Order: sequence, then structure tokens, then C-alpha cells
Amino acid sequence: MAGKSGRSINNVPESPIKRMIFSWEGVLVILFILINVFCAFYSEFYNLKNLLRQMPVYLAEVFLMLPMAYILVLGEIDISVGSIVCLSATMSCIVCNTGAPFIVVVLTALLVGTACGAVNGFILTRFQELPPMIVTLATQIIFRGIAEIVLGSGGSISASNTDGFRAIGGKIGSVPYILFLVLILGVIAAVILGKSTFGRRVYAIGTNRTTAYYSGIHVQKIRMIIYTVMGTFAGLCALFLVSSSYGANTTTGNGFEMDAIAMAVFGGISSTGGKGNLAGGIISAFIIVCLRVGLGQKNVHAQVILLILGLLLICAVALPNIIGSIKKAAAKK
Amino acid sequence: MNKKLVSTLLCGAMVLASATPAFAGVADGQKIALVGKSAGNAFFEIAASSFKETVEAEGGTVEVVYPEAATADAQIKVLDNLISQDFDAICISANDVNALQAKLEEAMDAGIKVSSFDSAPNKDSRQVFVNQAGTVAVAQALMDAVLDIAGGEGQWAILSATSQAANQNAWIDAMKKIMEEDEKYSKLELVEVAYGDDEPQKSTDQTAALLEKYPDLKVICAPTTVGIAAAAKYLQDNESACKLTGLGLPSEMLEYTGADDEHSCPYFYLWDMQGLGKLSAYATSALISDEITGALDETFTAGDLGEYTITEADDGGTEIVLGLPLQFNSDNIEEMAKLY
Repeated sequence: MAGKSGRSINNVPESPIKRMIFSWEGVLVILFILINVFCAFYSEFYNLKNLLRQMPVYLAEVFLMLPMAYILVLGEIDISVGSIVCLSATMSCIVCNTGAPFIVVVLTALLVGTACGAVNGFILTRFQELPPMIVTLATQIIFRGIAEIVLGSGGSISASNTDGFRAIGGKIGSVPYILFLVLILGVIAAVILGKSTFGRRVYAIGTNRTTAYYSGIHVQKIRMIIYTVMGTFAGLCALFLVSSSYGANTTTGNGFEMDAIAMAVFGGISSTGGKGNLAGGIISAFIIVCLRVGLGQKNVHAQVILLILGLLLICAVALPNIIGSIKKAAAKK
Repeated sequence: MNKKLVSTLLCGAMVLASATPAFAGVADGQKIALVGKSAGNAFFEIAASSFKETVEAEGGTVEVVYPEAATADAQIKVLDNLISQDFDAICISANDVNALQAKLEEAMDAGIKVSSFDSAPNKDSRQVFVNQAGTVAVAQALMDAVLDIAGGEGQWAILSATSQAANQNAWIDAMKKIMEEDEKYSKLELVEVAYGDDEPQKSTDQTAALLEKYPDLKVICAPTTVGIAAAAKYLQDNESACKLTGLGLPSEMLEYTGADDEHSCPYFYLWDMQGLGKLSAYATSALISDEITGALDETFTAGDLGEYTITEADDGGTEIVLGLPLQFNSDNIEEMAKLY
């Protein structure tokens, strides 16, 4: 309805289906389908069997994306996770080589990760004025440094008893366990972030920390919990990583933090905080996995694949702005 | 509007993807994947192109693949990709000794032959490793060079990289052993092992210190590319009577190599990367055709390189040793400098 000023106000609510398609998650679902169609045509080896077989190495990083989404929604960042993965993987291999039962190895990985995450959380909540980027940069160096010292001159360790790692790397039919775990944890994490009081509070902190604080939210407690859980998930990632290489070395987990952040941001989770949801993050993670597998199977130069992912990421970040300005321009006419 | 943008985005990705060289796999003949440690290693690329030429001349195809980073994790992703495809063999230069075992075993279980050169994965991860030159062969070549250049007697010194470098120490120990065991080296006197830490300036300083300490020094042997280049420049600039040999890169040694007094280095050695690529190609090809299985004492013919026998490697697995390192002298250096 055009008023005198020429502006129109649409007071008819959009249909839920239309809203879903035009939401970022809708775009991602379409993109996911398109990418898969593209890959199927592009690579003659792109089929479900190969996809499921190649997926586990990439899925380990999705574990990191889940808590990373919470941290990004807080408006913060944790770039130490790759190093936590390295340290957890190293320690779990060492414990494994002492002949300890596998459950102890699993606990070691998770505990080392949790402890590292708690260190991050402790520093960040104790000294609230410190920027998370700098603190986690420091702990990134420290955690990897510890791992390098533990690993010694050789720079790598192999698990002498691989049975346990072989077991968690197993499959039901041809579906790897890790896929189930990623999906289950993904749904849990998404529901907690999207539907629970805790999740609401995380958004509140990310939108405006001071307001959140004055409305009675335990900002520091929540930050502490999230950074600690981030560590635990890094431990989980380490376990599955070791299950593919039966060992750890000084480069284990290198750059994983950036992959996790990229998946989350591509999924529509704003790095400035308060925006986005995990459904987008999980779909985008699978888009990235499928694209990497598809292009990889045609032996596309690794750096070209990274370039394509980089371009996709920039588009994903810029797209909402572009759409916004187009809408604005259209409204002016 | 969203859809339009997304489709543009996707088209962009597709164009980019298709713009990259797509290597069509012809099932005709053997299909081999060659996996490097990382892209941009000139040294590996010499061997890789020689590998490729050799296989293609025999009617096969080679796909050279590099991981996105020089890590074992990145190579695991590459191996996953390769196992999905229909390769007959994978030849790999491993980023980690043990980390690739699970994937390479998976490849072998899938019927893909696995060979390696340049950097070996552990013995359970491969069928055969093609080694450049054994430690002893390198040490022997260097000792003979020192003996020859020194004229049979006199003082000589070693300019190494760091005191912890495993390969350097292995060569140095082997040289000492050779010197003790054979009477013909008895008139040579190894006065010092200096460490230039593979830094040009420190290597230069160490060279200067050696000359000052031992005015009668006849030969410096630098089994490191950084050390030999630094020493070559220093000796030549100072018109020293002391001569040089060792392991070096032809392109860096071009202006210092020559048999006359104006040049500081009569000749030096380095791996024969072309030969290595060629031998690896023949070995991998022999694995595919079941001519060899990688077991001890098997023999095969590597084209014009001649016959090779599979021997035991230091790690308990099997290997094929290419032979002596390649000598670079005034005759071949100009040509080789274009390559290395």
C-alpha cells in the first residue's frame, strides 16, 4: 500500500515457507543441494560411499565449530583451540603408550582439553578487560609450546596400541560413528543455543554485555562455562583426529581454529556477536565438507580449493550487506 | 534476489573449479598418483617431473598432488581423495613417519600399490622405498673428494649445519669411520667440525675462523647447501688456497665451481633428483605389474638405469638405493644450475 510519501508498509506477515527459504539457513540448504549436484557431475568418484569414507577427517573439525559458535555469539573468539587439539592428542597418545585402558585415554584427551579451556576461561573472566583474541593467541602459543616440549626433538608420537582408536574410528554399516556423534551433539548444541534460557543469555551477552550484566545475567559464569566446554570439545576433536593418524605431532590441529570460525561465520553466525544460529553453522560445515571432498577427488590444486572456500566466505559475510543495500535502493525508488 | 546471488556465487565457484587443470584419467595404462610434502619445493619438483616423464614414456599417466600444507593431516586428506579414485599406485614423500600408516594401509587393502621416495613412511605403510644414496655412499664420495682435492695429505675441516642435525651427524660419523678404516686416508687430518647452523652469515664467520686457526688448511668439506655456498663465496673472495667440496645446489655454486685456482670449489655433490624420480617411476611401475612386491632380494630392470635389487632399509623395511650422489663439476654445472 503506497502512502503519500511513496513508502509502502507491508503489514501482511510473510508465509512461514517463504520466510524459511529466504532466511540464510534456507539459502544454505539450497546451496548444499547445489554443491552436491555440482560435485556429482564434476567428479565421477563422488558418491555416498566415498563421501562417507572421506568425511571423518573433516568432521573432527565440526566438533570445534559447535562451541565456537557460542563464543562468536558472545562476540568473542578463541584462537587457541588448534593448539588445545595438539596438546590433547599428544597427551592421549602418551597415556595410551603407558598401556592404560582406552577409557583412560579418552578421559585424558577430554580432561586435558577441558583444563586448557578452563585456563582460557579463568584468564578471561578474571581479567575481563583483556581482549579474548590476545589472550587466546597467547595460550595458543603456550599450549602448542607445551606439546612441542613433551613431543621432544622428534616432534611426533605414535600410539603403540591402536585398538581403541581403531574402534572409535569404526562404522555402523558404512556410516562412521563420528557422523552420528557430530549430528547428535550438533542438535543438542543447537537446541541449547536456540531454545534454552542459557542460550538466550548467551545472545543477550553478545548483543550488549553491560545490559545483560545489569539484567542479572551471570556474564562471567557463562563465559567461563563456554570457554571450558570449548576445551572439552577440542579434546573430543583430538581423539577422533588420533583415530585417523594413530599419533600426534607438532603440526596436529594447525589452523583448525580458523576452519571452525570459517564454518560458523559461513553459517551466518556473526563474529560481532548476538546473531546467527547453529543450524546454519552445521549446514555450512557440511557444505564445506562436500565441496572439499568433491573438488579434492578431481585433484584440484589444494590452494585453489582454499581460494574457493575463501571467496565463499567473503560472499557469505558480504551478502547480507549487499542484500540490505539492494533492498534499501529498491525501497527508495 | 537471494537465489540469484547464490547462483552467481555458485557459478563463480564452478568456473574457478573448471578453470583449474583437470587431469582426465585415461584408463589406458597405469595410473599413478605422486604425493609431495607440500607445493613449491623445487627439489621435489625436479624428481616429480622426471617421474612423470618416465611413466608417460611407458604409456602410463601420473597425477602429481600436493597437500594444502606440509602436515601429515593434510596428506591424510589427499590420500582419502586418492583412494576414492581409481589409481593403480600411490608414490608418496611422507610428512610424518607414522601418521599415514592407517591411510596407506587402507590404500593397500584397496589394492593400490604404495611406494615412496624422498621421505619414507614407516615400513608397514609402504611396499618399497626408493632411497637417494645411503649414508655410507655419501660419506664415501665426500671422503674421496677430500682426499683427491687435498692431494692425498694435509689438514681438512668440516663445516656442518647444526650439531643436532641427524643427517649431518650420520654423514660425519660415517666419514670418520671410513677415514679410520682405510689406510689411504691416514695422511689426512680432520682438524675440526665447525657448525654454521645453516645461516649464511654464521657459516661465513665459521669459515673465516677455520682459516685463521689452521693456516695450512687444505680442504673444507661442507655437507650442507647453505654452508657450502657461504664458504665458497668467502674462499673465492679472499683468494684462499684452501679448497672446498661438499653437498650443494648447482645454481648457488655456479660461479664458484671450476678446476682452476680462480674458483674455490673444484667439484661437489648432491642427490641425483632426476635419477631418483626415474628410478621411483620404474619401481612403482614394477609394483603395479607385479614384477616386484617390495620383498627383500627381488630384482627388476629400471629402464636404462639398469638392474636394481631390493635391499633392507635402516627401519627394517625394504628399499631400493639409487646409488652414488651426483657429481657437479665445471663440465655439467651450467646445465644443472638451470634445474636445481
